[in-house]
Amino acid sequence: MTEGTPDSTRIGVSARPWWRGPRANRLGLPAAIVAAGLVLALGLGSLGALLWQAPRWDVARLWQEPYLLAIVRFSVWQATLSTLASLGLGVVVAVALARRPRFAGRTLLLRAMELSLVIPSLLALFGLVAVHGRQGWAAPLVQALPLGQANQSPDYLYGLSGIVLAHVFFNLPLSARLMLQALESVPTTHWRLVAQFGLGRGAIWRLVEWPCLRRLLPRLAALVFTLCFSSFAIVMTLGGGPGSSTLEVALYQAIKYDNDLALAALLALTQLVVCLGLWALALAAGGMPRLAGSASERSLGPGFRRDAFGLRRLTDAVVLLALAALLLPPLIAVVTAGLAGLPALVGDARVWAAAARSLAMAAAAGLAAVLLATALLSGCAALAERGHTAASAFLEGSGQLILILPAMVMGTGLFLLLRPRLGGDVEGYVLVIVVNAMMALPFALQVLRNAVLGLATAQRRIADQLGVHGLSRARWLVWPRLRRPAALALAYAMTLSLGDFSVIALFGSPSAPTLPMLLYQQLGGYRWQGAAATALLLLILVVAVFALLLGLTRRLPRYAWRGAHHAAPSVAASRLR
Amino acid sequence: MHSIFFRSRPARLSSGLSFIVALGCAGAWSPLWADQADQADQGERPELTVYTYESFVAEWGPGPGVEQAFEVRCGCDLRFVALGGGVDILQRLRLEGASTEADVVLGLDMNLIHDARELDLLAPHQVDTAALTLPIDWQDDTFLPYDWGRFAFVYDRQALPEPPTSFEELLDAPEDLKVIISDPRTSVPGLGLLLWIKHVYGDRADEAWERLSPHILTVASGWSQAYFSLFMNGEAPLVLSYSTSPAYHMAVENTDRYQAAEFSEGHYLQVETAAAVAGSDELDLARDFLAFILTPDFQRHIPLGNVMYPAIDLGDDLPPVFDRLIEPDSFTFTPEEVGEHRRDWIREWLNASSR
Repeated sequence: MTEGTPDSTRIGVSARPWWRGPRANRLGLPAAIVAAGLVLALGLGSLGALLWQAPRWDVARLWQEPYLLAIVRFSVWQATLSTLASLGLGVVVAVALARRPRFAGRTLLLRAMELSLVIPSLLALFGLVAVHGRQGWAAPLVQALPLGQANQSPDYLYGLSGIVLAHVFFNLPLSARLMLQALESVPTTHWRLVAQFGLGRGAIWRLVEWPCLRRLLPRLAALVFTLCFSSFAIVMTLGGGPGSSTLEVALYQAIKYDNDLALAALLALTQLVVCLGLWALALAAGGMPRLAGSASERSLGPGFRRDAFGLRRLTDAVVLLALAALLLPPLIAVVTAGLAGLPALVGDARVWAAAARSLAMAAAAGLAAVLLATALLSGCAALAERGHTAASAFLEGSGQLILILPAMVMGTGLFLLLRPRLGGDVEGYVLVIVVNAMMALPFALQVLRNAVLGLATAQRRIADQLGVHGLSRARWLVWPRLRRPAALALAYAMTLSLGDFSVIALFGSPSAPTLPMLLYQQLGGYRWQGAAATALLLLILVVAVFALLLGLTRRLPRYAWRGAHHAAPSVAASRLR
Repeated sequence: MHSIFFRSRPARLSSGLSFIVALGCAGAWSPLWADQADQADQGERPELTVYTYESFVAEWGPGPGVEQAFEVRCGCDLRFVALGGGVDILQRLRLEGASTEADVVLGLDMNLIHDARELDLLAPHQVDTAALTLPIDWQDDTFLPYDWGRFAFVYDRQALPEPPTSFEELLDAPEDLKVIISDPRTSVPGLGLLLWIKHVYGDRADEAWERLSPHILTVASGWSQAYFSLFMNGEAPLVLSYSTSPAYHMAVENTDRYQAAEFSEGHYLQVETAAAVAGSDELDLARDFLAFILTPDFQRHIPLGNVMYPAIDLGDDLPPVFDRLIEPDSFTFTPEEVGEHRRDWIREWLNASSR
């Protein structure tokens, strides 16, 4: 485009290749249908295979086993509590972080937030226990509280409170990070108006923050709920007793011990019904994003805000310190545990080979997840534009299927489907990549949603008038606003599959382990130090992936002549006052 | 206007892409995906596929040593496929049925034997078991033991100088003595404890569980969570594990801090077995491998590689720390009894613990 002379572009409308022509604009929908078809085939296919193999199944068993009902009740209860706590606190944190675009350690805090989502549950457990356990770092502090239990070790980590604490540790950073991303995409003009009108706290919340978060919250709630509902090791280990278990436990028993595929399918369907119901509600309540920041305008975040001074300084400091106190100590516990084993690890070629293997698989899975998410969302946009909101919501909802379907069910089902053809190592790895990509899809969808769907009609019309179509449109109109969310989505998807063990465990591993497999081998063989060091390496890789991808897509000043302008709004606004 | 408008940063874009491409190339690099040793000599040699579990094939586990020793002797290629645990091996076998590529399965413990036998996929081992030195008499003609151990509560000597010496003492201990156990539905030691208590208390097992429950800090989902995340963090002075666990701490970490508590009622046994697959193309080779299991060349990798007792008398090859372990009486249910009652006993435990 830059090289083409004006003449050739103007005259040669019909001569340009089809992928730059207007027809290519409509590729979004078919791509989305292919993507959705793939996800649905994988998800429903594996569930179907399980049902097919099951000799007989009657729904009545669900209420004939009283403990199943109890499990469902408990799962819903703990997941609801965890979701409310994660999102409620997440809003507070996101608002505070958005209000403070610059402070020492902000980047560090953001990195820590990204880490806590992807840290393998076994390590998170280790970190949480080291800090909040009966002998943990926090125990002396808790004992000092005037609550009467002066000489008793604190037990709050075991039981419902511990489950919720662990889930908040995992999900608060995720939800706050995504909400922060949404808040930061509020157009600069909004913030200028806020500054000009001198809006106060309540007004900013009502007019800017809440409308921005409201569209995000239902989906986020459904995502977090699903994650908490199906969490396995955390709920069991911190739950204290068999009363607190999830459907996965019953599922594990049915599949692994009792070979009761009928019951397994039934349990999977139960989980599907609960979570799909929630997703349907969320998708109905969410609506489409209305106004997102336009690509041409560098989002400066808030400039001058009246609510950023005085007492707010103190409350923001408290909120951010509390966040740091929640996130950092368990991570530090994991890091310090790993440091001792690090020297031995550096010299171990197997570890580095495993790391390279993990990274390569994660890159493939992450890329696939981002591509699938983009395809799905552009299809959603096309459908929504034509007024088919229900179909659009369905398309988007299909991307969540893999998250809702228990991994064990999918693994077993896929195995049954592909059985004669699952011999070679390579096929196993490919399958792991595909399933990992599907598992990361819901996260990628969350991150990319606003960027893809928020393309304003006005901008599309201008593009139509200028004759920017197809690939050119993707490159010049969509990509600039997509690159940063895409990098974040890729980073999340990559790190999710970096830390994933569940899928690999399903298909069995040949002689070449990935990093999480190595970690579990080490744990199974009493190699605590080595395992902690491997975990540390995993965390370092995660940080590196995030830093690299976000660094590569950092927005540079796009319009040189406006460079001087950039610092202006806040200064100008404060002068205006 | 568009020359300004559309000036991009191709360098940035391409650097991002090249990062991905570089990762892709690293991914395609084939030595990453298979053991070089395996690739090097895939001549005419027959291949023996062994399904086993993750920690067996670890670099420090018995796997590598066993592979080397057997390949020298058989002129074949031994290939391990590592699954999560014994129960995953059984499930894989069940799903694959007669089409399984396994020639040998290694890692089915006594509690899985009953279900595995019912699959009708395994062949008699035809190995002379005279060399076996298990604490119990072993007559099974399909499943061949390769190692064994006892379930036990491991305690931290610094936190608990005087551990309970019997179940009764543990159940009667003051409530602030906490233990960490794991769930019988999802973990092997968890099921072991369930059977242990059932064997000791019989019809009064539910009563025993009720008395135990105030002492249970938490029921972890698996052994790793219980031992690594909780016990090593000092959350409780007692954890359910194996009587051989201290051997690892003493031999490799050079510490006497962790020891197993000896209970006067006796300890429940764990026997891990291997079996040949009847439909295998290499059935003779599979039987050679099973015979190899009862030789010192296999067994010497067991004590510190798998942290279990070897199935034969190793003589001087047994690491000296194994002489310092507890030697209690031990017992077990038959695989048939476990197969028949496991569901009921788990339900009994569920009821007793939620009371």
